[in-house]
Amino acid sequence: MLLRLAWRNVWRNRLRSSIMVAAMVFGLLGAVLMSGFVIAMTNSMIENAIKYQTSHLQLHNPKFIVGEELAAWLPEADGLATQIRQQPGVAAVTVRQLVDGMLASAASTRGVRINGIDLEQEVAVTALAESLAEGGLLPADGRNPIMVSRRNAERLNLRIGSKVVLTFTDAGGEVTGAAFRVCGFFKTPLSGFDDANVYVRRSDLAGLTGLDQAHELAVRLESDALSDQVKTALVALVGAQATVRDWGEVQPILAAMTASVDQTNSILAAVFMAALGFGIVNIMLMSVFERTREFGVLMATGMTKAKVLTLIIIEALFLGGSGGLLGMAVSWLVLALLGRVGLPFGAMAEGLGVYGVDTVLYPEVPGSYYLSMFALVLVTSLLAAFYPARQILKKSPVEALTERH
Amino acid sequence: MSIVVDQLTRIYNPDTDFPITAVNNVSLEVKPGEFVAVMGPSGSGKTTLLNMLGGIDRPSSGTVRIDDSDITALGDKELISFRRDNIGFIFQDFSLLPVLTAKENVEFVMQLQGRSHVECATRSLQLLNDVGLGDRLNCVPGKLSGGQQQRVAVARALAPKPKFVLADEPTANLDAVTTRDLLDIMQQLNEKEGVTFIFSTHDPRVIERARRVIVFEDGIIKEDRVQ
Repeated sequence: MLLRLAWRNVWRNRLRSSIMVAAMVFGLLGAVLMSGFVIAMTNSMIENAIKYQTSHLQLHNPKFIVGEELAAWLPEADGLATQIRQQPGVAAVTVRQLVDGMLASAASTRGVRINGIDLEQEVAVTALAESLAEGGLLPADGRNPIMVSRRNAERLNLRIGSKVVLTFTDAGGEVTGAAFRVCGFFKTPLSGFDDANVYVRRSDLAGLTGLDQAHELAVRLESDALSDQVKTALVALVGAQATVRDWGEVQPILAAMTASVDQTNSILAAVFMAALGFGIVNIMLMSVFERTREFGVLMATGMTKAKVLTLIIIEALFLGGSGGLLGMAVSWLVLALLGRVGLPFGAMAEGLGVYGVDTVLYPEVPGSYYLSMFALVLVTSLLAAFYPARQILKKSPVEALTERH
Repeated sequence: MSIVVDQLTRIYNPDTDFPITAVNNVSLEVKPGEFVAVMGPSGSGKTTLLNMLGGIDRPSSGTVRIDDSDITALGDKELISFRRDNIGFIFQDFSLLPVLTAKENVEFVMQLQGRSHVECATRSLQLLNDVGLGDRLNCVPGKLSGGQQQRVAVARALAPKPKFVLADEPTANLDAVTTRDLLDIMQQLNEKEGVTFIFSTHDPRVIERARRVIVFEDGIIKEDRVQ
C-alpha cells in the first residue's frame, strides 16, 4: 500500500511532476550527449593517431628519442623488423629513415620531417594509401618522387608534377639537398601531422644523406588490446638497443587527454546530478508542505516516523526513477540515431584537425554508463528526499494537523 | 476501556508573556461504550482536550489513563503504537487520503497494524457496507459527497478495532440530513461494536443525540450531564 500511495502521490499533481520529469529527461539527454561526444572525440583522436601517425608501437634508438639526430639510427633495423613481424599479434612493420629539413618551392619554404619509406611496408602499417587526396603514391621507379600534404601544397602553391627542393644535413654534417617532383597529395584528419611531414622513398633519402640506416620502426598490431602484451615481448626481444613505446608514450598529450575523459564525464554527471537534486528537493518540498495536514493525519492514525520517511523517500525515488528511466530511454534512442548518421562538424574542420578529430563524430557511451547514470539518479533522489522529510518529521502530529498551507 | 483524566492542563506558550491555558486542571472519567459529546464555543479547549485524550498532543501537567496505561508517560514510539491499536480519529474536514479509494483508505490503517490483506479487505468491505457505502468502494474521496466522505472517515476510524473513537466536530461541514444519517450510523456502530465515541461539537443536533454531554468553557468543565 505504501508503494501504491507513494506512486499516486507523485502523480497527484501531474503537471508539476511531468515538468520535473521532462527537465530530467532533457538534462540527462544533455549529459549523455556531452559524454558521448567527448568519448567519440577521444576515440577519434586515438584512432587517427594510431592509423595515420604513431601506429600501435614504435621503436627508436634511445638517443634518437632525446635528440632526434641523424646519427642516432637503429642498428640492424631491417633484420629487427623481420624478427618483429614474426611475433604473435604483429600485423605489419615499416622501417623509416627520418630527417628534418626544409621543403622549398618557388613560392615558399616550410620546415618538414622527411619520411624515407618503403611504400609497400608503409601502406601495410599506416593509412597513407587511404589518405591520398590527389595524384599517386610514391612510384617504384622514376627520379626522386615526393608526396606532400594538400595543406602544404596549397601553401607552397604546388600541383602534381611540381618541382620542390628538399634541404637537410647529411650524415657527414654537410648541408645537402635535391630536387623532388610531387607525385601525390595526402590529406589526413591530423592537420599538424600534414603540416610537418613529407614522404620520399627511403632509398632516395639514404642516397642523399649517405646513411643506409633507419631511425624508426612502426608496428601495427592485429588489435589495440594487444598493445601491452606485444610491447612486453618486443622489449624482451630488442633489449637495450632500442626503446619500444606505445602510442600513449609517443603522444603523451593525447594520452593525458584520453585519461581525463572519465574525469570530464564525472564532472558532467556531477553537475547534472546537482541540478537534479535541487529540482527534486524543490518538488518534494512543495509536495510535502502542501500535505502537512495529511502527514499529521497519518501520524495520528498510527504511521511511524520511519514509515513517513520511507513514504517520502519512495516518492522521491519514483519521481527520480521515472525521469531517469525515461531520460535513459530517450538518450539511448538519440545516441543510437546519432551513432548511425553521425554528428557533422565540417564547419569546425580546421580546429578539429589540430587535435586529429574527424569532422563527423559518432557519439557513443558504453552500456555501463547508462546503468551508472541511472544509479546516480536514484541515489541523488534518495538524498534529495531527506531535507523535505526532515521538515515534516520534526513536527508532532498535532503541529502537522493544525498547520495550513 | 475506561478513560480517566486527572488534573489535565495544557498551556500554550508557557514561557512567554502571554501564556494561553487551553485546558485548565480538568478531571473526568469516560466509561466503556459511552456516547459522549464535549460541547462548547470555539476556543473553549474542546479540540485540545480531545488531542490529549488521543495522545496526539501532550499535556503541560496531569495524566490521561486509558485502562492501566498512562498515555502521557509513553514515549513517542509507544504512543504511536497505542494510538494505532486503540484510538480512532474522525476529523472535521474528513482528512481522507485523496489518492486512495474509499476501500483503500479504510484498509490503510489496518495495514499499518500489520493485518493480513484478506482481513483488511473483509473488514473494510463490512465497515463500508455498515456505513452505506458498499457501492462506492472504489471511489476516491474527490468523487464522494461530504457526507459520504465523513462516512468513509467513520469506517476508517473503526477499522483498526479501536477502544474508543475521537471525533472533532464531525458534522461541522454537513447538512442536516447528512448529519442525521451520520449520527445514526455512529450510534449503531457504538452499539454494535461497543466502541466509545467522544465528540467535540457545538452542533445541537449532535448534542441531543449524545447520552452524556460535557459542557466545556474557557478550558474547564462547566457541566457534565447524562441525558
